[in-house]
Amino acid sequence: MMDVLAADHFFNPRNVGDADEPCFTGRAASLSCGALVRFSIQVDETQRVSQARFRATGCSFLIAAASILTEKVMGLTTAEAARIGTGATNCVAIAYDALLDAIREYSNAARDDWAGDEALICTCFFVSERTIEREIQTQGLTTVAEVTRVCNAGGGCGSCHQLIQEMLEANDLPR
Amino acid sequence: MIYLDNNATTRVAPEVLGAMQPYLGQVFGNPSSAHTLGREMNRAVEQSREQVASLIGSADVNEIVFTSCGSESDNWAIRGVLATQPNKKHIVTTLVEHEAVRNLCRLLESEGYEVTWLNVDHNGELQLDDLRNALRPDTALVSIMLANNETGVLFPFEEIGRIVREQSNAVYHVDGVQAVGKIPIDLKNSFVDLFALSGHKLHAPQGVGALYIRNGVSLPSMIIGGGQEQGRRAGTSAVPNIVALGAACQLAFEDDEHARIEQLRNRLEDEILKTIPNARLNGVADRSKRLPNTSNISFAYVDGQNILMHLDQAGICVSTGSACHSATHESSPTLRAMNIPYPVAQGSIRFSVGRYNTEAEIETVLSVLPGIIVQLAEMSPYQEELKV
Repeated sequence: MMDVLAADHFFNPRNVGDADEPCFTGRAASLSCGALVRFSIQVDETQRVSQARFRATGCSFLIAAASILTEKVMGLTTAEAARIGTGATNCVAIAYDALLDAIREYSNAARDDWAGDEALICTCFFVSERTIEREIQTQGLTTVAEVTRVCNAGGGCGSCHQLIQEMLEANDLPR
Repeated sequence: MIYLDNNATTRVAPEVLGAMQPYLGQVFGNPSSAHTLGREMNRAVEQSREQVASLIGSADVNEIVFTSCGSESDNWAIRGVLATQPNKKHIVTTLVEHEAVRNLCRLLESEGYEVTWLNVDHNGELQLDDLRNALRPDTALVSIMLANNETGVLFPFEEIGRIVREQSNAVYHVDGVQAVGKIPIDLKNSFVDLFALSGHKLHAPQGVGALYIRNGVSLPSMIIGGGQEQGRRAGTSAVPNIVALGAACQLAFEDDEHARIEQLRNRLEDEILKTIPNARLNGVADRSKRLPNTSNISFAYVDGQNILMHLDQAGICVSTGSACHSATHESSPTLRAMNIPYPVAQGSIRFSVGRYNTEAEIETVLSVLPGIIVQLAEMSPYQEELKV
């Protein structure tokens, strides 16, 4: 049966509905169990989740998971939010997939809107080459994981890891 | 607790408990024993046989054999019929049978039998022409339930029996588990050969059932041992349970509760369908074609399991058509066979009324349910559909 936390979130789901516009919306569904989840988030200028809402049909565990996720993602950067459900299974994974889908929509929109004249290295969380370089130098970063932790770069699809690695190596050269 | 899950199981009636209680204490003995105690037990078993026979209109009390449950009765009937006709490899059944029949027939398919699965229409009703077309010279068995456990839809067993008798040499088995005690049944004036029933559906305890075997139909024993039940089913008779089944049949036979139960069901069904916008009835609207105690209602675009949990928290017991088995959360085979759209089938709830429900309980359900549905509908991602 459900634990106390899950039961509380099922019977009293938090943050039901749609996030205020402008927001980013993600969906996930399961053909095997018929669940459907819609997750919507607002993201502020510091790339942090400032509002999270969900709607869902599905089993009580799924409802509880979606409700818990809306609380957990608040205040996280989109990159942090994208990692909190890693390894989730079954009903929880469906709720998490909807959150990821919303973050993806945000990332796509942010990339399309990218007005900066600097080159983008991380296109998932739109972190520029200049930002990464600055963080590497000022904080003395030496690994990709450190870069991701500090500025989100590399926290999504992973396709920029090679570029970040090259920047780390270039910074390592004696000047 | 408000118990509206009487199709799942029923509370043991005080009358039934009173009848069986002596046999759990001071009255004991093996009904096969020749001494006084044994004979007394035997008399109790035979009285129970008469009570069962009366309720289902059997022409001869010896057509009743006691078993441990409805599933045993179904399994024995089906396996037994096939064993007596080794050259016939064809079975006719439906897609909406209880698992005891459906899963056994699936297993028989893997054992080399050919099964014709009759489908139902969107009302849950059979097309009798489908049955006519399915019967073949090598059809060994037709197994069709009397009342569907989920929707309560009744299949016309008298007419089906006539078709089977006139157009084939097949044996006709009826899973009557969900119907016995709820509607009048008169087997002697039908063409039913085998008929399964279960005690706990009509206020006897769990663990006792019976199989009606029409005189002239032979079934090999499935449990081999002593000569109990006229050599048809070995194993020491479960006298307390058998006495309870007899008392339960007697109670159902004499009962004047049937009309009241039907009124409660009607009130519940009418009010829900009238007041809750996304509610739809599953099963034929004509109530004469359904069990008088059952309403299967879908609340479209919300999840039945969620409704069940909220009702449970409010002290109301119902069941849902969708069963969540850890990873899967499938809609019921019956509703799928009826072609109920997926988001509607997922929101199905079965209300099954019984003799201990009161008008006040029904009113409580009617006062609690709308709020639950509104809360879940607000959470549903199908907002556009719900507005229609």
